[in-house]
Amino acid sequence: MTEDNKNDFRDDCCKNLVYVSEDIVNTGIGVVIDVQNVYKYFGQLKVLNGISCAIKKGEKVAVIGPSGSGKSTLLRCMNLLEEPTYGEVWLDASIMTPVDPYLHKSILVKSNTYKRLMIEEIKSMLGKGEKDKLKYDDAIRLVDGDTLENLSDKVLKQIKAGDRLKKREGIEFVKAVKAYKDRYGVNINKARQRVGMVFQHFNLFNNLTILQNMILSPVQLKLKSKEDATDKALKLLERIGLLDKKDEYPSKLSGGQKQRVAIARALVMDPEVMLFDEPTSALDPEMVGEVLSLIKDLADEGMTMVIVTHEMGFAKEVANRVLFLDGGNIVEENTPEELFNSPKNERLKDFLSKVL
Amino acid sequence: MSIDLKASWEIFRNEFVVNRGYTRVLTGLEHTLIIAVVGLVIGIVLGTLLAVTKVVPQNTKGAKIFSKLTDIYVGLFRGTPMVVQLLLMYYVLFPLIGLAKIPALVVAIIAFGMNSGAYVCEIMRSGILSVDKGQMEAGRALGMGYGRTMVKIIIPQAVKNILPTLGNEFISLVKETSVASFITVIDLTKAFQQIGSATYDYFIPYIVLALCYLVIVYIITLIVKLIERRMRASDRR
Repeated sequence: MTEDNKNDFRDDCCKNLVYVSEDIVNTGIGVVIDVQNVYKYFGQLKVLNGISCAIKKGEKVAVIGPSGSGKSTLLRCMNLLEEPTYGEVWLDASIMTPVDPYLHKSILVKSNTYKRLMIEEIKSMLGKGEKDKLKYDDAIRLVDGDTLENLSDKVLKQIKAGDRLKKREGIEFVKAVKAYKDRYGVNINKARQRVGMVFQHFNLFNNLTILQNMILSPVQLKLKSKEDATDKALKLLERIGLLDKKDEYPSKLSGGQKQRVAIARALVMDPEVMLFDEPTSALDPEMVGEVLSLIKDLADEGMTMVIVTHEMGFAKEVANRVLFLDGGNIVEENTPEELFNSPKNERLKDFLSKVL
Repeated sequence: MSIDLKASWEIFRNEFVVNRGYTRVLTGLEHTLIIAVVGLVIGIVLGTLLAVTKVVPQNTKGAKIFSKLTDIYVGLFRGTPMVVQLLLMYYVLFPLIGLAKIPALVVAIIAFGMNSGAYVCEIMRSGILSVDKGQMEAGRALGMGYGRTMVKIIIPQAVKNILPTLGNEFISLVKETSVASFITVIDLTKAFQQIGSATYDYFIPYIVLALCYLVIVYIITLIVKLIERRMRASDRR
């Protein structure tokens, strides 16, 4: 990314930026996954352009949009299979991504750049010359509270708009970032244990039998004893009607069976939320139904889920909120009735006319 | 030059049986197999570790340094003849670090193991790269770390893919051990040489020597096939 591009990005960023600082944690009650101002670049390609969305407990969110709109990337950012270029992803009250200082006023004000700019602002306001030496702590005592507030807002905007933070921003800044990370940060592997993921291409472990596939992670990570995990896995297999396949290898299963096992494998971990990445796109048409009905059953049981899908009928039926993505932005979001029956955005109308 | 086959055979038989030449051959065979098998085990462990340094995401300074070190290691061991490596280790390297008294056999095992490691590294790397990216993603998405997913999911599949090539590596290793006598190890080749020099007739000993290697390699081929068939269990359709 060239410097110019980077500055463009910060300009955009500033427009829809909200200060979140510490209060994000308190307002986040009931929110399972919180995506904050996420940008994802692959080299020059901008896939996500500042997406914010919150997945609440019990919600079923469908993500639709033309191919290349960033649906899958957004989903993969939710369990950090892709690390956002900028922005933060929160799971419940813990931050999974590195701290993005631009999102936190409390951290930004600790930076040397902020202090330097503030001193300059105060100097020019008081009509002092360039040469006058002034320390930050002394400078802020020279103006009253309201003025300070205004100046601070102005400087923060400047920093964000110009992507002004440098590599080194002083020990106080580093400490502030670290303190934030220590307070809210979470081990990514621990976080992922709480987020189930189902892939387009199933990704069952080819070297393990179906049962081994399902119990590997919970047993390895000592989340469950081998007996408990096996018990749970067998119950799930019975439920999806594949108990007789437990000792087979994945290569012996049909696509639909593989995907149902993949869903069951995620469920053995007792996830709080399930992410589905186009779960039926790689299936033969006659197998789509069996997978969708399993997902629907899960939804009816109250599982929180995010589904990237091309099955509009399914999205309509199962989701209670639909996000329409285009060009890396959430262009429209609404209940399925509203979104499908009376779309407002032109691109959404165009998209729906093609797929419905 | 005419050769009296019958006389030659009698001389060889006499030395081999009556003068107990077979004990030498058995010791030689033992050494050859020990060097090859232990060398291969060292090679596989070392090669796998080296391969992982090459496939690990290169986004930290540490990862880059390890990857570079692996390049140097592989370059050194592939760029010099095995005999030279043996000689260097036995006569230069080990005396230098104060281990001059270490038995030649042990030096040979270490040298062949390290040499094999360089080759296995490349084999294993291609094996790991041949495993679908989704397998690692699935492991990570289930909360397992990079290392654990590597050990439990990726490497078993990689090994299955490279088994024929790994068998090849074992076969060349067995044959290469024939230079171990450069550092005074009595291996199979040296044993037959000694029988030859005791009788001043090398004709039959060298033919039998070649046959010995052929039989060993044939047995290895069978074993590799057997293992391969067992490991293929997961993709029988």
